[in-house]
Amino acid sequence: MSERLSRARAVRLGWTFAAVVVLCALPFYLDAFWLRIGLFSMAAAVGAVGLGLLSGTAGQLSLGHAFFLAVGAYGYVWLAGEPGPGLPTALAAVLAVLLAGVAGGLFSPVAGRVRGVYLGVATLALVFLGHHVLLTADSVTGGFNGRSVPPLEVGGFSFSADSELSLLGVPFGAEERLWYLGLALFAITWFTARGLLRGRPGRALVALRDSETAAAVMGVDVSRYRSAAFVVSSMYAGLAGVMLALAFRRVVPDYFGLVLSVDYLAMIVIGGLGSVAGATAGAVFVTALPLLMTRYADQLPLVAAPGTTDGAVGPTEAARYLYGAAIVLILLFAPDGLHGLVRRLRARLRSRRTAPPPADAASPSQPPASAVRAKEPTP
Amino acid sequence: MTTFLDNIFNGLALGAVYALVALGFVIIFKASGVMNFAHGSLLLLGGYLTAVFHDDLGFAGALAVAVLVTAAVAGAMDRFLLHAGGTDPHTAHVQTIVTIGVDIVILTDLSRRIGGDLLSLGDPWGDSVSGLGPVTVADSRIAAIVVSTVVIAGVFALFRYTSWGLSLRASAEDVEAAALMGVRLVRIRTLAWCLAGALAALAAVFLAAFPAPGLERTTGQIALKAFPAAILGGMASPPGALAGSLLIGLTEALVAGYQSDLHILGEGFGDVAPYAVMVLVLLVRPTGLFGGKAAVRV
Amino acid sequence: MTTRTTAPPALTVTDVTVRFAGLTALDAVSFTVTPGSVHALIGPNGAGKSTCFNVLSGLCRPATGTVRLGDADLTRLAPHRIAALGVARTFQNIVTTQGTVADNLLLGRHALSRSGFTASALRLPHARREQREQLARAREAAELTGLGPHFDSPVALLSYGDRKRVEFARALCLEPSVLLLDEPVAGMNAAERVRTVEVVHAVRAELGLSVVLVEHDMGLVMRLADEVTVLDFGRVIAHGTPDEVRRDPEVLRAYLGTGAEAEDAA
Repeated sequence: MSERLSRARAVRLGWTFAAVVVLCALPFYLDAFWLRIGLFSMAAAVGAVGLGLLSGTAGQLSLGHAFFLAVGAYGYVWLAGEPGPGLPTALAAVLAVLLAGVAGGLFSPVAGRVRGVYLGVATLALVFLGHHVLLTADSVTGGFNGRSVPPLEVGGFSFSADSELSLLGVPFGAEERLWYLGLALFAITWFTARGLLRGRPGRALVALRDSETAAAVMGVDVSRYRSAAFVVSSMYAGLAGVMLALAFRRVVPDYFGLVLSVDYLAMIVIGGLGSVAGATAGAVFVTALPLLMTRYADQLPLVAAPGTTDGAVGPTEAARYLYGAAIVLILLFAPDGLHGLVRRLRARLRSRRTAPPPADAASPSQPPASAVRAKEPTP
Repeated sequence: MTTFLDNIFNGLALGAVYALVALGFVIIFKASGVMNFAHGSLLLLGGYLTAVFHDDLGFAGALAVAVLVTAAVAGAMDRFLLHAGGTDPHTAHVQTIVTIGVDIVILTDLSRRIGGDLLSLGDPWGDSVSGLGPVTVADSRIAAIVVSTVVIAGVFALFRYTSWGLSLRASAEDVEAAALMGVRLVRIRTLAWCLAGALAALAAVFLAAFPAPGLERTTGQIALKAFPAAILGGMASPPGALAGSLLIGLTEALVAGYQSDLHILGEGFGDVAPYAVMVLVLLVRPTGLFGGKAAVRV
Repeated sequence: MTTRTTAPPALTVTDVTVRFAGLTALDAVSFTVTPGSVHALIGPNGAGKSTCFNVLSGLCRPATGTVRLGDADLTRLAPHRIAALGVARTFQNIVTTQGTVADNLLLGRHALSRSGFTASALRLPHARREQREQLARAREAAELTGLGPHFDSPVALLSYGDRKRVEFARALCLEPSVLLLDEPVAGMNAAERVRTVEVVHAVRAELGLSVVLVEHDMGLVMRLADEVTVLDFGRVIAHGTPDEVRRDPEVLRAYLGTGAEAEDAA
């Protein structure tokens, strides 16, 4: 038993190592376009993991994720920039993440009490009120035109193309440098989020989602954990905001609108609720698809080249069609998202390899999932 | 004083139109537990069809076509895209996201067709105005109030006196018991979607009518303001949706009307004021003014 | 599971009244659960048994009256505080969370473990150590209730009886001094019932806790309970040992038709 476990662990370690090597090697082979897709995907993945914790694990619907992304992005720009305190950029990035957490905490009077669809629409208010503030508070946010983002510097090393640098004959510009920063931040996210999910807080959050009553009588402080889920999720959103700001080099209010919140919701549902890997897959899918569509528009049938205006379908529109259709189709055929799809495929492969069905395959008497989550007793 | 009355009247007219949209949200939510994100596109679709057909069919004919087609699209959406997942209430959150996908497709298509144009719906009121006591008001707004009142009264009568209405309320009360009704539940649900689609198409007319310049591709975004309206009243309560809509309409009109006195809140605060009101209400009453228990989990 | 060396504190319910929208669900209900005893709460449907459990576990606040556990006043405490003081419960309809049996039992250890968000996120050594220790405790609870072989199975794949047992084991994980069991054998077959009775006997003997039991199976109540309190329309109509209660004319009248059944089952 333990021998098999340790072998499984070795295999997993091997795969992880291979993935890390490949990801680290990519900047030597890919051009800036692909690296930018990677940067945006990594930032989105960090944000999606945060929303997954809140909406997938703890079951609290949030449409306000864009607001917390904005707090992170603008927080960094203001803290590191002029006008603003002009702090060292690394410190500003850390503080921006904390600031997003504080913003999540300030929302806790609502988050602790309002539930379900009500919470969803209440968080919608954050996006609209936040957008209004971003437009109005010119002195901090730069108003409609936004502000440019000061590049991050850590110990004299700048994550921008300001200084010449080349490694093994490959010139290292902003994208290459930011790629490694993104990887490191994403690794931190992956590590911490999985730790949370598998630990005591994760179980408490799952219990909150499945039955607040059961969670409460098992000793979980319901309103505290509901608020805490919001704070943690907002901190991941804040980090994603900082990463996006660095990748875009300019922050504008219109980016942080409802569409962004909805995109993040789509990411976690497409990926499969409640898993870090699923959120990551969903984030890559939702981020990369429109960028790839725009890039390869001329090679796609029925899609006009950019700039033509005779009512034909342009690449941006084609990307939107495909994005919308993909959401519908994925969820139609895999309601538990990409993560669930992969899990089922794996289970099928495994059962084909070993003739007798393994212990974890569904037994004939398997009750429907809904029966497990019986309705709550009415006090 | 006249400014005040002006604002009140505008608020009521706005609220009446929001009520058409919010009522649709609530009906859908009651019937299927789904938060319909595609409502804005359905609204835009209704407006677009009216605009396209009014030259050939006249306004009334075009509106009838628009209402029917939008209702059919909404019903088809439920039947073929959402219902495929089954009636399990726990799939409501997945279905909610599916509506996002549908919204993206419809909205992309309509935006492409409308482009930067302003479409006229050919409504009979044009830009005529009437004196109503001390204030002068647009006829289209009077029509909005009258038509909304009549239609909403009709919908309430449907709820109360038809077997469909009774079944809908029963299924919202207890899904398991209603599930025993089997196939009929599917029909009740789909009919609810159709009705909501029809209401949205009707609302589009008044949102595009004078003093609005016409139908734009962004007109559908108005549906987002019906979210707070529906929530304010309590998502499962049609009368609540009505009250919430009027509150939202009045808030928006009053804040916009007294913009100059509220300048510290920033320009255009009228557009976001409904959300501020909603958050304040939810702080005091977490399930809205008339709300029962929240049901959707995502 | 640690064996308790001292007797658990007494659970005292005094004059508890609960009203729902004009309806009196509990009317000046008083009873005391003697430390270490099995105390059954019986009565016809709608007598207020579940409401009583909800008051004891803090899900429902009484209009008047007090609930005390030893010296601690539970009346106005939130459910999670009551749980931390050592009152655990199961539900009439199974309420488990997603995941394996182990996940559910570890949830039961929530109040007895410390790791917060930061420690778990950073996987600090003490958090990992705690997780290992709690897992061992959870396994003990699983073995005690006969769930050992299912420890890593998803709860959704277990049989009905096993899922009821998961709830039971999860409550035990709280290391309670008072265990509230809401219809622990409802829907179980005969063999499962016997097992559950054995387990209740075992935990009582090994852990020395008090058990409050709501159950319709009169035979089981008569065999398990040391004391019985009978509720009808929210009032206590009788109290005593099973034998005393069985002979009480008031009880027979309340049960009417079901009185005969109770005799048969016993």
